[in-house]
Amino acid sequence: MYLVANIDQEICAATSCRLCTQYCPEANTIQYGTELGKDKGFKYGSAYVSVDRCKGCAQCVWVCDNMAKHKAIKMEMIDQIGDQALTENISYHEKNTTAVLASPWKS
Amino acid sequence: MSLDYVKFTPGFGKFMPKEYRDMVEHGPFGKKTTVSQVGTFKEIMEEHPMCAGCAMTLFIRLAFIALPNPEDTIMVGTAGCGRLAISQAAVPFVYGNYGDQNGVASGLSRGLRLRFGDQPKDVVVMAGDGGMADIGFSCTLHSWFRQEKFTTIMLDNEVYGNTGGQESGMTNKGQVLKMAPLGKKFEKMDMLGMAKVAGCAYVATVVPNNPRRVESVIKKAVLIAREVGPTYIQAYTSCNIEYAIPTDQVLQDCKDVENDRYQFTEYISDEAKEHLSTLYGYKEYLPKPVAAVTKG
Ligand SMILES: Cc1ncc(C[n+]2csc(CCOP(=O)(O)OP(=O)(O)O)c2C)c(N)n1
Ligand code: SF4
Ligand code: SF4
Ligand code: SF4
Repeated sequence: MYLVANIDQEICAATSCRLCTQYCPEANTIQYGTELGKDKGFKYGSAYVSVDRCKGCAQCVWVCDNMAKHKAIKMEMIDQIGDQALTENISYHEKNTTAVLASPWKS
Repeated sequence: MSLDYVKFTPGFGKFMPKEYRDMVEHGPFGKKTTVSQVGTFKEIMEEHPMCAGCAMTLFIRLAFIALPNPEDTIMVGTAGCGRLAISQAAVPFVYGNYGDQNGVASGLSRGLRLRFGDQPKDVVVMAGDGGMADIGFSCTLHSWFRQEKFTTIMLDNEVYGNTGGQESGMTNKGQVLKMAPLGKKFEKMDMLGMAKVAGCAYVATVVPNNPRRVESVIKKAVLIAREVGPTYIQAYTSCNIEYAIPTDQVLQDCKDVENDRYQFTEYISDEAKEHLSTLYGYKEYLPKPVAAVTKG
């Protein structure tokens, strides 16, 4: 197993700073869903990780901890995360992306 | 090289892979996408084999987002780590022999001008410090002296990363590397000074831990190269493998190096300022109104 980044959407949606999306070295990996967290009363959405593209470098953790100071991202074993975003489940919309979260481990 | 090639042949769209459909339908082509919008549009760079956490990867990613017209751009590169990612994007990539990238780009940009006239077609060279300052040194300098109109971007990781850690002219004096065990014997080459002497219209240094600045310098460099003359960007893009930087400290290292010896610098010629302000609406380069002198 290996580590990938996992974003706590409640912490992220509380501020929605969008910093980590600009610093991940991999393209199309940290996505931004403006609808995420709206069901919980958050206004501007949350970042989420397309785990099949994440190389596990933890730069986003550094950005969220040290630049954004939100501590919303943790590196976790990919099989421990539960439902995740995969490239094939992501759709792009005007100023937003959405993902159908699914566990790659359950068929 | 136009928006015409970024669309499906009628009837074939549904057979294309999802990533390709996303790129055609939600990519940056024909739109003005910016670094602050990332995460909401499909970037044109795809997966590639560069190392996890490599700052050069981050820089290349930002560079593709910053291109003013990706559909009208050709990238030119050479051997070295960067080509592993530059080649995996939906922008044509010309791969020269090691070091001849600025020679290839000279011919290419002249040819494009003959073929397309005033319609802007941008040529952007992105190559490593070894490829540019050592092996490709004469091609690089001569293209500047000849005033070839294209952008040269050095991915300066201060080492030959792709071949396991030899020193380059851009390595700092005294630096010990796997294949420079006694430490480098001479100073880092002043490519910025040489770019100015050789007549580049725009010369800038950046580090990738300031994404919007990377975006801004690349946009300016490409727009200036369209009509004014050669432009040069030197980017610190650390090699976390050869310099043994833990991947979660790569951005801290960028910050430290920026503060220490890679501060942001920008040189822009008067002609380039005028070009940006009159053609592309850069207000900061409008001539300053002469203050009225009131005599008492
Ligand atoms: C003519 C020639 N000589 C040597 C090589 C082997 N070679 C491939 S990549 C490379 C070094 C690349 O270093 P640099 O240009 O600094 O780029 P980096 O990999 O550090 O990004 C060398 C020497 C080659 N491909 N062609
Ligand atoms: S840096 Fe942290 S808080 Fe900001 S968008 Fe990313 S995960 Fe959310
Ligand atoms: S761990 Fe690295 S590759 Fe994965 S999302 Fe974070 S910055 Fe991107
Ligand atoms: S060897 Fe160094 S420069 Fe090359 S991809 Fe790996 S970290 Fe980046």
